[in-house]
Amino acid sequence: MTAQDATPHSNRPVILSLAGLAKSFGQKHAVRPVSLDIPEGEFLTIVGPSGSGKSTLVRLLAGLETPSAGTLSLRGQDITILAANRRPTAMVFQSLALFDHRSVGQNIEFAMKMKGVAPTERRSRAMELLRLVRLPESYYGRSVTECSGGERQRVALARAFASDPEILFFDEPLSAIDYRLRKTLEVELKDLHSRTGRTFVYITHSLEEAMVMSDRIAIMKDGALIQVGTPSEIYRRPSNRFVAGFMGEVNILPVENGRFAGIDQPAPEAAGSFAVLRPEDLQPGPGQTTAKLSVKQRLMLGSRTQLHLQAEDGTALVSEIGGQAEAFAVGTSHTFGFAHDRIAWVDV
Amino acid sequence: MIFMALCFAMPIVIVTWFSLMVPRTFDLNADVTLTNYYAAVTEGYARPLMWSFLGALITTVITAVLAWPSAIILHRHAGHWATVVSALIALPIFISESVRLFGMSVFMMPRGGILAGSLNAAFGLQIGSILNTWSAALVGMVYIHLPFMLFPLLLGVSLIPADRLEAARDLGASRWQLFREIELPLAAPGLMIGALLTFVLCLGANAEAAILGGRAVTVITAAIEQRFSYAQDWPMGAALTVVVIVVTAAIVLPVLSRLDLNKLTRR
Repeated sequence: MTAQDATPHSNRPVILSLAGLAKSFGQKHAVRPVSLDIPEGEFLTIVGPSGSGKSTLVRLLAGLETPSAGTLSLRGQDITILAANRRPTAMVFQSLALFDHRSVGQNIEFAMKMKGVAPTERRSRAMELLRLVRLPESYYGRSVTECSGGERQRVALARAFASDPEILFFDEPLSAIDYRLRKTLEVELKDLHSRTGRTFVYITHSLEEAMVMSDRIAIMKDGALIQVGTPSEIYRRPSNRFVAGFMGEVNILPVENGRFAGIDQPAPEAAGSFAVLRPEDLQPGPGQTTAKLSVKQRLMLGSRTQLHLQAEDGTALVSEIGGQAEAFAVGTSHTFGFAHDRIAWVDV
Repeated sequence: MIFMALCFAMPIVIVTWFSLMVPRTFDLNADVTLTNYYAAVTEGYARPLMWSFLGALITTVITAVLAWPSAIILHRHAGHWATVVSALIALPIFISESVRLFGMSVFMMPRGGILAGSLNAAFGLQIGSILNTWSAALVGMVYIHLPFMLFPLLLGVSLIPADRLEAARDLGASRWQLFREIELPLAAPGLMIGALLTFVLCLGANAEAAILGGRAVTVITAAIEQRFSYAQDWPMGAALTVVVIVVTAAIVLPVLSRLDLNKLTRR
C-alpha cells in the first residue's frame, strides 16, 4: 500500500469506526472483515463493481443488517447491534423509497413526526429543507408521484436531512438518472456536503462519480476494501491492476526481464511487475521510452481525442491527446513516448 | 349483458315487486302497498337485523385482527413453508360449510365434545359448553370467513415495498409507527376488500347461527327464510330482503367507491 496523503478531514475526530466488520449470508461472505476510520465531516465514497458487497457494507453501517462479526462505533460508542431507528444516521436509498402515499411535505417531515415534533415546527423546518435542496416551497403539498426524477432525488435528500443525522449514507441514489442530470446532482451534492458539514458515506459503482465528489475513496472488491485513499492517490498510485483499470481506459504494461513486454523497449529499474500508464501520459513524439504504434481507431471526445493504438506484436495501447488530432488517421503509424515518472508500478 | 340482466337484475326486480304486494299472497298483479315495510319496522324485525349486522361487524373485526399478523408472517417467510400453510388455510373452502360447522359442533359439545372431552381426560377439567350460544355462532363465523379476510390481506401486505419499511425504520419509526404510517395505509386496499367480503358474506350467513348458535339469536337471514318457507308469507320475506339489500348497499357502496382497484394490480 502506498503512503497516504493528508485528507481535508484527517485531523478531525473519528466519527465512525469499523473494526473487523463482516457479514456473511450462509456460506457466502458478502463483506469480509473491514476496518476503517471515518473522520467527522468527510465525504467518503465506497466504490466497487456490482456484487462487491458495498451495498451490504453500507446497510451494516445504517443498521439495516446485523454484522456477523466485528464492531461498529459512533464517536467511540459501540452501536454494532443498535437498531436502525435508534441510530443518528439516515440513508438515501437506491430506489429512494419515497412514501408515495404521502405528500412531499409529509415525506420530509416523517422523521420529525416520528420524534413527536409539533406540526408547526415540522412545517417551518420542512420549508427550510426545501430551500436547502433547492426545491420551491410550493412543492410542500404536492404528491411525490407528480415529481420528476431529479425532484424526487431532492425530496429524498431533504427527507434524510430532516432527521438531523450525524452521518448520511447514500446507496447509489444517482445510478438510475440520465447523464446530464447526474452530473448536475453530483455537483449539488458536493456543494450540499460543504454547506452542511455533515459526514457523507456514498456508495457507487462509478469511480468517475467518486472522483468528482469525494474527499476519500475506498475501493471494494469481493467483499474487502483493497485500497483507501484520496482521489488523486487512487488515480496516480493505484495499489493493483484492478484499481488502475477501474477508472476508465488505462495501459498496463507487464515488465519481463527488464523490458516492457509488448512494445519491447528497455524498462527502468522496475519498482513492480506491471507499469500502469494513463492514456494522457502516452503522447506523440519521443519520450524516455519510445515506440512506433499504428492507429487502429480514433474516437472524438470533444476537447480530446482517444487513439486506440497497436504495437508491432499486436499489444493494444490507448492514448488521449488534445484537440482533433487530424494527423492521426486510422492506419497511419506514429512515434509515441512517455516519461517514466508518470508510471504507477503495481505488483499484482 | 343479457345474462347479467336475466340472472342478476331480474331476481332483484321480482323480489322488490313482491315486497310491495299484500301480505300472504302469491299474486304479482295486486295493488301496490307498503304494508310489509311498515310491518318490517314495527313487528320486531329490527332485532334480527341488529344481530346480523352486529355479528358481521364483530366477525370482520376479529378476522382482521387475526389475519393481519398471519399475513405479515406469511409474506415475510414467503417460500415453500408459507405455500403449505396458505394451502392448508385455503383447502377447507372446498369442503361444504355445513360439514365443517357440524365438525365444529362436535368439537364444542358439552362433556363428550372434543374440546371438553380432552380437557377432562388430560387435566380433569370440567367445563361447560358454549354450544347453542351466540358466541359459538361467532366462533363459527370467524372460522368460516377467515380465509376471505386473509387472502385479500395477504395481497395487500405484499404490496408494501420492503424498502419503504426500511426507510421508515431508518428515519426513526418504532414498530407501532411503522404499522400506522406505512403498513396500514399501503395494505389498505387489501384490507378493505377482505373486510367487504367478510362483512357481506357474514350478513348472508345463516348456517353458523343455526348449527352452532342453536338459534339462540335469530339472524335476519333466518327470519327471511322462515317468512318464505314456514310462514308462506312471500311479500313479507321479500320486503325484509329488500331492507337488507338497501342497508348493505348503503354500507358497502361508499367503501367500494373509495377503493382504488388499480392499486392492487399495479406494483
